[in-house]
Amino acid sequence: MTTATQAPERVGPPSKAARPHPIRDTLIKRSGIGILTLILVSILVFAATQILPGNAANAVLLNTATPARLHALEVQLHLNRPAVEQYWTWLIAILHGNFGTSLANGASVGTLVGGRILNSAVLVVLAGVIGTVLGVGLGVLAAARRDSLLDHVLSVGALAITALPEFVVAVILVIFFAAVVWHLFPAVSVFAPGTAPWSNPAELVLPVATLVIVIVPYVFRMMRASMIDSLESDYVQMAQLKGVPRWRILFVHALPNAIAPTIQVIGLNFLYLAGGVVVVEYMFNYPGLGQALVAAVSDRDIPQIQCIVLVLAAFYVAVNILTDVISLAVSPRRRLPRS
Amino acid sequence: MTFSRRDFLKAGLAGSLAIGTGGLLTGCGTGNTIKAFTTSTAGKPRRGGQLRAGLSGGSTADTLDPLNAVTNVDFSRIDNLYEPLIGLTPDAQPVFVLAEELTPNAKATEWTLRIKQGITFHNGKPLTVDDVIYTFQQILNPKAPASAAAGLASIDVKAMTKLDPYTMRIGCSTPFATLGQALAIPGYSDIIPVGYDVTAPVGTGPFRLKSFSPGTQSVFVRNDNYWQTGLPYLDEIVITDYSDETSQVNALLAGQVDVVNLLSEDVISEVQGESKNVLVSAGGGWNPFTMRVDTGTFADVRIRQAMRLVVDRQQMLDLVFGGFGTLGNDLFGIWAPEYNHSLPQREQDIDQAKSLLKAAGAEGLHVQLVTSDIAQGTVLAAQVLAQQAAAAGITVSVSDVTVNEFYGTNYLKWQFAQDYWFYNFYLPQVSLATLPTASFNETHWDNSRYNSLYNQAIATVDDSLRAELAHEMQQIEYDEGGYIIPFFPPVIDGYGANVGGLVPSKIGLSLNAYDFKGVWLS
Repeated sequence: MTTATQAPERVGPPSKAARPHPIRDTLIKRSGIGILTLILVSILVFAATQILPGNAANAVLLNTATPARLHALEVQLHLNRPAVEQYWTWLIAILHGNFGTSLANGASVGTLVGGRILNSAVLVVLAGVIGTVLGVGLGVLAAARRDSLLDHVLSVGALAITALPEFVVAVILVIFFAAVVWHLFPAVSVFAPGTAPWSNPAELVLPVATLVIVIVPYVFRMMRASMIDSLESDYVQMAQLKGVPRWRILFVHALPNAIAPTIQVIGLNFLYLAGGVVVVEYMFNYPGLGQALVAAVSDRDIPQIQCIVLVLAAFYVAVNILTDVISLAVSPRRRLPRS
Repeated sequence: MTFSRRDFLKAGLAGSLAIGTGGLLTGCGTGNTIKAFTTSTAGKPRRGGQLRAGLSGGSTADTLDPLNAVTNVDFSRIDNLYEPLIGLTPDAQPVFVLAEELTPNAKATEWTLRIKQGITFHNGKPLTVDDVIYTFQQILNPKAPASAAAGLASIDVKAMTKLDPYTMRIGCSTPFATLGQALAIPGYSDIIPVGYDVTAPVGTGPFRLKSFSPGTQSVFVRNDNYWQTGLPYLDEIVITDYSDETSQVNALLAGQVDVVNLLSEDVISEVQGESKNVLVSAGGGWNPFTMRVDTGTFADVRIRQAMRLVVDRQQMLDLVFGGFGTLGNDLFGIWAPEYNHSLPQREQDIDQAKSLLKAAGAEGLHVQLVTSDIAQGTVLAAQVLAQQAAAAGITVSVSDVTVNEFYGTNYLKWQFAQDYWFYNFYLPQVSLATLPTASFNETHWDNSRYNSLYNQAIATVDDSLRAELAHEMQQIEYDEGGYIIPFFPPVIDGYGANVGGLVPSKIGLSLNAYDFKGVWLS
């Protein structure tokens, strides 16, 4: 996890002409570092694929691999060329916007991965948004009714859920809501390639629910704690004494101050989701990026592995930058130069 | 859950015994066509409907190319898109499909093939022997040999002569009495039209391609011009790739798919219920342990025989496949007419194994067994073997590697490993695995008497004479071979009660080799 960039240190009040733009500066600096990170990631991943035993030709031919067939396929896939040359060719193509073709089936990697990105994005965004809203809402509720029965139930529930890995949550949901007890929702999500994941919303219910259940407790606990801090602060007590309505104190006075630390947790949650979808996609046979990555690794399909890893890494970089920028935006104090 | 293996098998036999497999290969041409096999579970055959199959065993390397199919899901597609000259009944006996007659000359060096008339490809092009010639040329293309090239290597592509649009001669560079058997193995030598394009694939099969997305999903629609009148029953097949048995079973139980393949014994009780059924087939595929006979520890035949004697085959079958399946006798080709049933079933004999080891000076033997999750139960079988071998003082250290490593640079070179094979007839299998010229001679078996018997057998047109020669070859393998074949694994599939026409099959591929033309939905 990253920490917010410090604004440049200055002495004296800021003059208008040289007023720092902490948000813009952060964006520029972080984007530069981000691109370097991506290049580094691509080198590391490529190196890793070279260390793995077997290559794409073995993976395609399996037990039908005679030396003659293996050789013919290796030549066809250019696997007989030196590794550095293979990487360089790939990198140059990427810079031209060409993600190459799959070693496993010859299809365009851009097209293959593109559809998968959409599918996974739908999962991540839905789960992220629902989880955040639920977590924040429940956190505020619990803080507002601190030490009530509701607060205790929510807190204990959150603690219990954080102990469950996502595949356990998924199995429990499938048993209860799909396969055994009630047949309410589909147990797996299979939609035809080319159709949008929302074309059959019922198939999204269980995968999204699994992810939501996994992330809500973290948002909830952070929100509850920081909300309690806010509610105990002097200005809130002052507002209470002034007779400001309760809802206004909660949502106008306390919430904006309590949200800043929670944003970091929400960012972390989105990062988790990008990785967590792998397990959930596997469990629900959901045709997303995670499932494609697992398949690409077992097929030693280097262009596809590279493309998916780059997409995931870019997502990590982007979410990190975004989290910091939003944190800056909601904390005016940190935008000011130190004096 | 109460069910017995006997019940499954009984149901299976009722289905498969009904099929006639009369005079097939030696040219009587009795007009065999594949019949629609019926089981009574889902009423009478009914036209229409969409069959949703949730199949595991595929990958993003899935292909529609019938000459280069590798995975189970590949076979499920090509077995419905294309057709071979000769196929297999569920009883694993050859039956004419596109061919109508296949007759050898006296020395089995030339065959006359006659194909059925009036059959068209999905694009309307009539099937002629030009397409057959083209298919063989593609299979045996020296620059890019197909999967079947190794098994059909005796065909001389330059000596194929068209006599008329439906008759041709197939010349062979060496005698090839088993051509008919070699052509009958499903999914290797399906006929493609001249100028075939894998991106717009057409065959003569009961279903046409609608869409294909490797590793994900493929859709097939009914071929309304199919030559077998009244078939297929289904309007559409949707095949979805699954990577995990749990999600397969969940999808079946939730009613999202109608059939699933390659289940393990563990989930039978979970699946078997009011509206779901389990189809257990006694497959003819085999998952051998392979011992290299040319170098290293297993070059000593006494040690190989000791390894074979430490195996408690029934216990292994019980532990790995819950007792389903068939015991093996270290010989392959179990359903072939040439299979030697007269050799006594090999039983575990620890004392005999110990004395063989002692004679070989190999007491306290330590060997490494390379295993991998290449087929159902392979890793578990390796662990069971290690346990059983311990009784004879043999330490088997099991090295579990990834599938890619297993089939990587050391494939066909491992000292002691495993493999899996789909069903094949005895002599065609020999040509693939146990001749010095074989492409997959993983045990490096090279026995001069055996080789010369094979050369005689492959030149013998007479079935019973050929079988005698084959029996002697099997005796040699039984006494000295490098394979441990403890069992022939079962094939376990699941299906909804609404699915009719599924029959157990001995071929060893799921769902009667994915032959969906006789399947209907009630």
